[in-house]
Amino acid sequence: MLRYAGRRITAMIPALLVIIVLVFALLRMIPGDPAVFIGGENIGPEALQALRERLGLAAPLPQQFLDYLASLARFDLGRSLHTQLPVTSIIGNAITLTATIAITSTVLGLLISVPLGVVAAYSKSKGRNRGDGALMAVVMVLDNVPSFWLSLLLMLGLSYGLGLFPISGAVSWSDPGAMAARLALPVIVLAIGQVAALTRVTRSAVVETLGRDYVRTARAMGTPEPTILFRHALPNAALPIITMTGLSFGRLLAGTVIVEAIFSIPGIGTQLIQAITGRDYPVVQGLILVYALIFLTINVVTDVVYTRVDPRVRLA
Amino acid sequence: MTLHSTETRPPEATAPPAPDATAEVAPAAAAAPTEPSMVRAGVRSFFRNRNNVIACAIMVPLVSIALLSPWLPLGNLTQSNLLASLAPPSLEHPFGTDKLGRDILARTFAGLRISILVGLAAATISLLGGMIIGTLAATLGKRVDAAVSSLVDVLMAFPAVLMAIVIVAVFGPGPVQLIIALGIASMPAAIRLQRSLALSIVSSTYMDAARMANASAWWNVRRHMLPNSVAPMMVVASIYAAEAILAEAALSFLGLGVVPPTPSLGNIIADGQNYLREAWWISTIPGLTIVLLSLSLHFFSDGVREQLDPALRATVMRARKERRWMRRSR
Repeated sequence: MLRYAGRRITAMIPALLVIIVLVFALLRMIPGDPAVFIGGENIGPEALQALRERLGLAAPLPQQFLDYLASLARFDLGRSLHTQLPVTSIIGNAITLTATIAITSTVLGLLISVPLGVVAAYSKSKGRNRGDGALMAVVMVLDNVPSFWLSLLLMLGLSYGLGLFPISGAVSWSDPGAMAARLALPVIVLAIGQVAALTRVTRSAVVETLGRDYVRTARAMGTPEPTILFRHALPNAALPIITMTGLSFGRLLAGTVIVEAIFSIPGIGTQLIQAITGRDYPVVQGLILVYALIFLTINVVTDVVYTRVDPRVRLA
Repeated sequence: MTLHSTETRPPEATAPPAPDATAEVAPAAAAAPTEPSMVRAGVRSFFRNRNNVIACAIMVPLVSIALLSPWLPLGNLTQSNLLASLAPPSLEHPFGTDKLGRDILARTFAGLRISILVGLAAATISLLGGMIIGTLAATLGKRVDAAVSSLVDVLMAFPAVLMAIVIVAVFGPGPVQLIIALGIASMPAAIRLQRSLALSIVSSTYMDAARMANASAWWNVRRHMLPNSVAPMMVVASIYAAEAILAEAALSFLGLGVVPPTPSLGNIIADGQNYLREAWWISTIPGLTIVLLSLSLHFFSDGVREQLDPALRATVMRARKERRWMRRSR
């Protein structure tokens, strides 16, 4: 188990190198002179040279890459062009917020979609195709609702209409109750974004396990239906659900970028958008690297959890 | 990529390479209608599928509105009329007006045109790029395959929206950049699918036969691999188009895509966010349009997939027959 995790982590290294090269190339791919693009047309020649130095664009290209690697090894991602703050501290402050939102909404998404999927699968197995069809139609519509539009609708209904959740104001941990109310809407939106994929995968996995011999045997022995569903069918359907949770966590993280911007929550998504519109490239590069690291880690964690849940998965 | 339709299964599994005979006939029938019965049968079987009918019922009106919108009497798109600022829905403005007094209906139609254009163009780019690179990876030997596959694996870790944001960060906002960004963003998935399709075709018996007949590599690619992978790739391409439309709207909403005054469904919704309390109608209609468009593309994808997969088609037909039989016996 541990050895397997270790092996998976070493297997991440080539992927990580590819990503470092891509992030390094990011700034250099800007058409024309990146320093002019970032500093603006009216920048003076001295300021331009200084900006080049700061962006690490002054040296020859191989030297630039080695410098970049060296600073990465020191966990130094440079400083923001606007605020002069180290990029690592900007990311460090923002990431807890994004992680809280992402994890809470994944849990909420699972709490909604696993029961939905089980109900759909159960009604299908009982030949009640209409209930199953109606549920899946709702899920299909949900899948096609853009998260930013859903956010606005919920704002309109729940915040303006019913006055339930605040949509502006400080985001700080000092008042947990206010914080929960402030983060509720984004978490709900992101959870609903997860529902489609998770419900589908739960449904089809449970449909499959309900057709297995051990379920037939359990039925023949007179085991109560809830026990069959939750003791036999669901645990055996866990594997695809876990995979899908890992996969859609990536999508969820991309969704946080949009949802944070709408609800003005200063997580890493908002930082990314601000850095892109402000052409603050050290911050953009640092954030992309962090996102890539998160995605790679999720893939590894999903695979490792897989082996925990299903002993049949050989640790090859 | 999300999983769609009633049964979750990887797209690879849904697409057994069609028997070679049909692959030989189908392009010929499509190119020159020498066999009208063939075409008619194809059209008839297309419309016999419920998903396809739903898809067409939504898509045909939306696309024709989008195409005809420059000629519809909707008034000026960008000219402001402050007397009609934030007017609620009325006979004159069926979906109300925005802060500058511009008709939301007219702007939605114009935005719809850009959305459809961006979606189709981006899906075409990912489809073509995926088919070319995927086929090359599967045919050019182990080293190329390993290089392409590992790069694809890394890029697949990135969600498409985020990758598009990164590309827009480098090349700046705008419709053309957006098309390229979204096209590249879903290309890794397309490459992976095409590669696995091509690999399964390489090991098929009709490819053995072709090799025994001393067919050239180019012939095999042109006559076997590409025709037999077009249809399954179409299934995912319509999903890519739906995702590109959603991503375009999201990026334009964030100010990273289509920038005002050019209307786009995303930036109309963003504009509406500022007046959400006073004028709910600004954001509502464009959002609904996105949902419909994206739904229709998913229906289309499901329909084509059901028709491609003989097993799935058989169960659909059997279910229909049973239903008919039960109705009769009642």
